[in-house]
Amino acid sequence: MTMSRNFDFMENYDRRVGRLAGQAERYVYSDPESCLFKLRLMVETMARTLIELQAPHLVDADLSTMLRSLERSQILTRAHADQMHAIRRDGNSAVHGDPTPGPTAMRRLHDAHRLSGWYCRTVKRGAKVKLQAFEPPERIADQKKKDYWKKGEALEESIEQQRQRTREALMLFSDKENVDKIASTLVDELKGWDELAIEAGEPMIDAEFVALVMAMDIEKLLEHPRFGVPSKEAHAIAEAQYDAFRHELEAKEASFREQRRQLAIGEQRTGEQAGSGNE
Amino acid sequence: MPALDWLHSWTMESEALKSQVQLATIWFLAARTMAVADGNLPKVKETVAGLYARSILELPEEACVAAKNPENISSLRIEDCLASVRSLPRALGEKIMTGVMMIAYANRAMHPLEVRWASMLASAIGLEENDFQRCCVDARVIATMMNPSAEDEIS
Repeated sequence: MTMSRNFDFMENYDRRVGRLAGQAERYVYSDPESCLFKLRLMVETMARTLIELQAPHLVDADLSTMLRSLERSQILTRAHADQMHAIRRDGNSAVHGDPTPGPTAMRRLHDAHRLSGWYCRTVKRGAKVKLQAFEPPERIADQKKKDYWKKGEALEESIEQQRQRTREALMLFSDKENVDKIASTLVDELKGWDELAIEAGEPMIDAEFVALVMAMDIEKLLEHPRFGVPSKEAHAIAEAQYDAFRHELEAKEASFREQRRQLAIGEQRTGEQAGSGNE
Repeated sequence: MPALDWLHSWTMESEALKSQVQLATIWFLAARTMAVADGNLPKVKETVAGLYARSILELPEEACVAAKNPENISSLRIEDCLASVRSLPRALGEKIMTGVMMIAYANRAMHPLEVRWASMLASAIGLEENDFQRCCVDARVIATMMNPSAEDEIS
């Protein structure tokens, strides 16, 4: 079966994943929702294969849990995790029936292509995969469609920047920083302070208490005669704050979906009007 | 909006953002120091710090991004962090301590340098033993809520 110029090299590494990518590519203009559905399935298949090697007890977990686990075990880099999460999120929207502009699907297809080379190298260690530049399937000549794609691409660019910013805010280090260098400087400084503190006889925290808290069941901790009530209160406040933050993130994603929906619906209407004008 | 009102509101917003960036800078410095003190930097420590900043410290996205700009943070040292923590209102200082202890719990063990950093912070904030213990317990409770899957991975 012929697949595509972008993904046919995958035949030698993971036929099922390659086939899903090829199908997604074929749908990118004609049916963007199906394209995203196939890409989501592709990412899920990739994640399951990788998780079987790394954490088999999570093989039946949902995609988001599998990706988080792969990211924490550093199999996925930050960039790969971002690409896979973007496909997961947009694939979910498509599955739930949100109209999707073609440029959204195209952008995720491009992400899938970036992931494919890395994936093949990961599943077949030592494989020399030379990833060719991504070639978008041929574009439509229709000027109106071109304008629509331009708008869609601008929207995708803006969404990507906003997601990137959200992610940057959450990380301990920014992409521009040299983490190893910072870590080693901080540890050296801390060692210096430690020596000074020992000489000066500075007091230390009660490490045994910390170890006890670490080892205790959370239920027991919440029933603790001295800390139980304040901890329950602290927990309730923190939970409310955490929920508020999660809702903020969800609202942001919902607004992205709405902007895409508006664009896709606008395009559908234009197409319908043009169709009825021709009758 | 008249020009003067606009200028006034812009100045207020800009001042508010400035103090948020300062708090974010203190937090990320304190959190980084705890995160690297044992010589490891697992992903779980890396993502939970930002979640804590955004949800518990209620810092806006732009303050968190600005704080980590190398121009802002790269020249700062541990003593800058301690000096800044000293000048924080007590409640905020305790929140920083709680968050830092939450990061220390990530790998279920405390390295001597982690103990030292916690001690230095507690002393800079001026925490009595009871207050510190309360921060420890709160940290454990919040860690369970923010990071439920980390425990699966450790086991």
